[in-house]
Amino acid sequence: MDRLPQTSVQETPTPDTGSTLPKLSGWRQYKALLRKDIAQEFRTKEMVTSMGLYGMLVLVIYYIALSQTGLGFDITRIAAGLLLLMIVFTSMLGLNRSLIHEHDQGQLEALLLAPIDRPIIFLAKATTNLLFLVVVQLVVVPFFYVMFVAGSLTIHLGEVTPGPWWMLAIALLLGSIGIAGVGTLLATISVNTKGRDFILAVLFIPVMFPLLLVLVSAVNAVILGGSGYEATFWTMCAAAMAFNAVMIAAAYALYEFILGV
Amino acid sequence: MRTELKIALVLAIVGGVLTTAAFVMAFTTAAMQHHNTVVNAPGFIDTVYEIAPPQLQPNPPDGTVNYHNPWFSQKIFYFHVPIAQLSLLVFALAALFAGMFLKTRDPKYDIRSRIGMETTLIFTIGTMISGSMWTRASWISSWGEMGRVLLSEPRLVTYTVMLMFVVAYFVLRKSVEDEEKRASYSAVFTILAFLIVPFSFAYTRLTQQIQAHPTDVLQQGMDTSNLIPFIVAIIGMMALGYAIYILRVAEEKKRAQLEHIKEDIEDKLATLAH
Amino acid sequence: MQPAIVAEGVSRSFGARKALDKVSFELPDKAFLSIFGPNGAGKTTLLKILATLLPITGKGTAQVCGFDVKHDAEELRRRIGLISHNPLLYRDLSAEENLQFFAELYCISNPEQRISELLEAVELKHRRYDVVRGFSRGMIQRLSIARALLPKPQVLFLDEPYSGLDPHAFDILDSLIENIRSEHTFVMVSHDLDKGLDLASHALILSRGEIVLYDRCDQLDTTAFRQTYRDVVGLGVS
Repeated sequence: MDRLPQTSVQETPTPDTGSTLPKLSGWRQYKALLRKDIAQEFRTKEMVTSMGLYGMLVLVIYYIALSQTGLGFDITRIAAGLLLLMIVFTSMLGLNRSLIHEHDQGQLEALLLAPIDRPIIFLAKATTNLLFLVVVQLVVVPFFYVMFVAGSLTIHLGEVTPGPWWMLAIALLLGSIGIAGVGTLLATISVNTKGRDFILAVLFIPVMFPLLLVLVSAVNAVILGGSGYEATFWTMCAAAMAFNAVMIAAAYALYEFILGV
Repeated sequence: MRTELKIALVLAIVGGVLTTAAFVMAFTTAAMQHHNTVVNAPGFIDTVYEIAPPQLQPNPPDGTVNYHNPWFSQKIFYFHVPIAQLSLLVFALAALFAGMFLKTRDPKYDIRSRIGMETTLIFTIGTMISGSMWTRASWISSWGEMGRVLLSEPRLVTYTVMLMFVVAYFVLRKSVEDEEKRASYSAVFTILAFLIVPFSFAYTRLTQQIQAHPTDVLQQGMDTSNLIPFIVAIIGMMALGYAIYILRVAEEKKRAQLEHIKEDIEDKLATLAH
Repeated sequence: MQPAIVAEGVSRSFGARKALDKVSFELPDKAFLSIFGPNGAGKTTLLKILATLLPITGKGTAQVCGFDVKHDAEELRRRIGLISHNPLLYRDLSAEENLQFFAELYCISNPEQRISELLEAVELKHRRYDVVRGFSRGMIQRLSIARALLPKPQVLFLDEPYSGLDPHAFDILDSLIENIRSEHTFVMVSHDLDKGLDLASHALILSRGEIVLYDRCDQLDTTAFRQTYRDVVGLGVS
C-alpha cells in the first residue's frame, strides 16, 4: 500500500498561522450544497418522480370523486382548493424524502463537522426543496388545468372569466416558497422522530393553515375572475408574502436549535 | 417547596370560591341586557349580543329574530370569554418558556412550557365546548348550521387551529426518545405555533365575508350587574389556573427527584452485587 | 509544543442527568488516545464535545489544537476529521463527487489534486466514478477515511471505526491507520480493549461520565488496567 500523502507536513502546525488556510466562503459552500442535492436528484430522480407520480395519483382521485357531478357542476368554483390540496400532499412527500437523504448515513453530522455557518445549511436545503417543488408543479399543474378547469371553462364561459396564467404562477410560487422555507425546518424535526412522515403531516398542516387559506383565495380569484378579482388577488398575495417573511425568518433563526443537539 | 404548596392551596380555594360566586351571580344578580338593535319581540329574543349574520338566522314570518335559548346564551358568556382569554394567555406563557429553554437549555423551562401547553389544551377544549354551547343557544337553529359557523368565524377557526397545534405538540413529544432533543424540538414548535395564531385569526377574517362573532358586547360596554360576575369569573379562573400550574410544576419536580433516587438505588445495588 | 487537547472540567448534563461530569485531561500533540468505558459512560459525548458537535454545559472549557470548542468552533472545524461507524457519505454520488463536495465545504484550494492523492492512498482510484451505493462495507469505510483526511486535519476522531467491518476490511483499516499514525493526533472511542490498547499511546477509562483512569500506555501496568476496565464495565452492565 502506498504511503498516504504527507499530511504531517502541514502548513499549519500551530493555530497562529491559521491564516494560511484558504479563506472560507459561505457562497462557495452554499453552491456546493445545491450542486450536491441536484446531482443526487439527477442520478436517482427520486424526489421529482415520486412527487410527480403522487400528484398524478391525486388527480386520479379527484377524477373519481368528481365523476358523478355531471356537466352542470361548475368545477372551477372548487378548483383552487383542489389545486392547493394536491400541492400540499405532494410537497409533504418531497420534504420528507429530501431530509431522509441527509439522515440515513449520518451525512448531517458530516455537514455539521465542516466549517459551515448553520444557516447556510438551512438556506441551501430550502432552496433545493423549492426548486424541486417548482419542477414538479410545472408538470402537474398543467395536467390539473386540462383535466378539471379547461373543460369546465368551455361550458361555463361567460360566468367565469379567468385571469392571466402568470398570476396563477405567482400565487403558486409564493406557496412553494412558504412550503419549502418552513417545511424544511419541520422536516428536519420530523426526520429525527419515530414515524417521520406522519409527524411531518401533523406539524405541517396547522403551521401552513393561514398560508393555504390566503392562497386558495388568491388562486380562486384568478380562476374565477370577475369584477375586481385583481384587488383580491394582490391582497392575498401580500398576505402570503407577509406570512412567508415572518415564518421563514423564524425558521431561519430556529434552525440552529434543531441541529445543535 | 412548602410555601409554594401553601400558596397553591390558597389560590385553589380562592379561585374555586370566586368562580362559584361568578356562577351564582350570573344566574341571580346579572340583569338581562338590552341591545339597541333588536326591539319588539317578547320572550325569545336574545338582546344581549350582536345579531347573527342574516345567512345564519332562522327567519320567522314577522321579521323578528328568534333565538333558541337567550337565557342560557347570556349565562354561558361568563365562562366562555374568560376561558378563551386565559387559553391565549397560557399559550403565550408556554411560548415564552419555550424561548427561555432554548436560551438556557435548562430543563425546568421545558417542564414549564409543557405544563403551559397542557393547560392550553384544557382551556382550548373548554373554550370550544362553551363556545359551541353559546353558538347553539344564540345564533343558530340547528346543529347542522354549526359547520357553517365553524368555517366562517375567525375566532372559532383560530381556536380550532390552536387545538391542532396542542395536539401536534404532544404527538411530537411522544415520538422523540432523547430528552434534550424532545425539549428542543417541542420548544421550537411551540414558538412557531404561537407565531401562527395571529396569522390564523387575521387571514381567516381576510378570506371570509361573513362576520358572525358577538363582538359588540365588549365594545358597547356591559351593565354593572353583568360586569361584576364577568370580572370575578376571570380572576377566579386565573387563580385556579395558577394554582394548578404550581401544583403541576411541584409534581414534575418530585417525579424527577424520584427518578433520580431510583437510579441511585439501582447503581448502589449493582455495586453491592459486584 | 502545545498539547493537542486540553479539557478542563468538561461537563454535560440535562437536568439531573449527567452525561459527563467535570472531565479534565491533557493530550500531547501526535498522541493516540483510546477512550474506553461501558455503554452510556459518556465516551461518544466526550468525543462529540471535542469535535464541536455538542456544546459543553456549565463552566468547563476545552481546547483542541489551541482553539476553544465553543468560541472558535469554525476555525477548529477546519482542523479536525471524524471517522465513524456511520459512513457519513452520500450513497447516490460517486466516490469522486463525494470528495469534491466535502472539498468545497472546506474551501480547499486545488481540490482535484488532493482528491487524486487521497483516492490513490485508499486504493479507490479505479472506482472513483462509481456510485457509493455499490461499494462494499470496507470500501465505504476507506472512502470515509479519505473524506476525513481531506482538509489535512490535525486531530482525527475515530468513533468505533471497527464496528460492523468484516475481517478483511478490518485489516485494511488497521494498516491505513497504522500508516497515518505518526501524522495526526488521534482520539478513538472503542469497545475493543485489545484493539484500543494496541494503537494507543494514552488510555482513558470513563464510567458514568467521570474519568476512572487516565495514563500513558508505556507507563501502564496492563494487567491492572484490564482489571480496572473489567470492574468498570461490570458495573455499567448490571
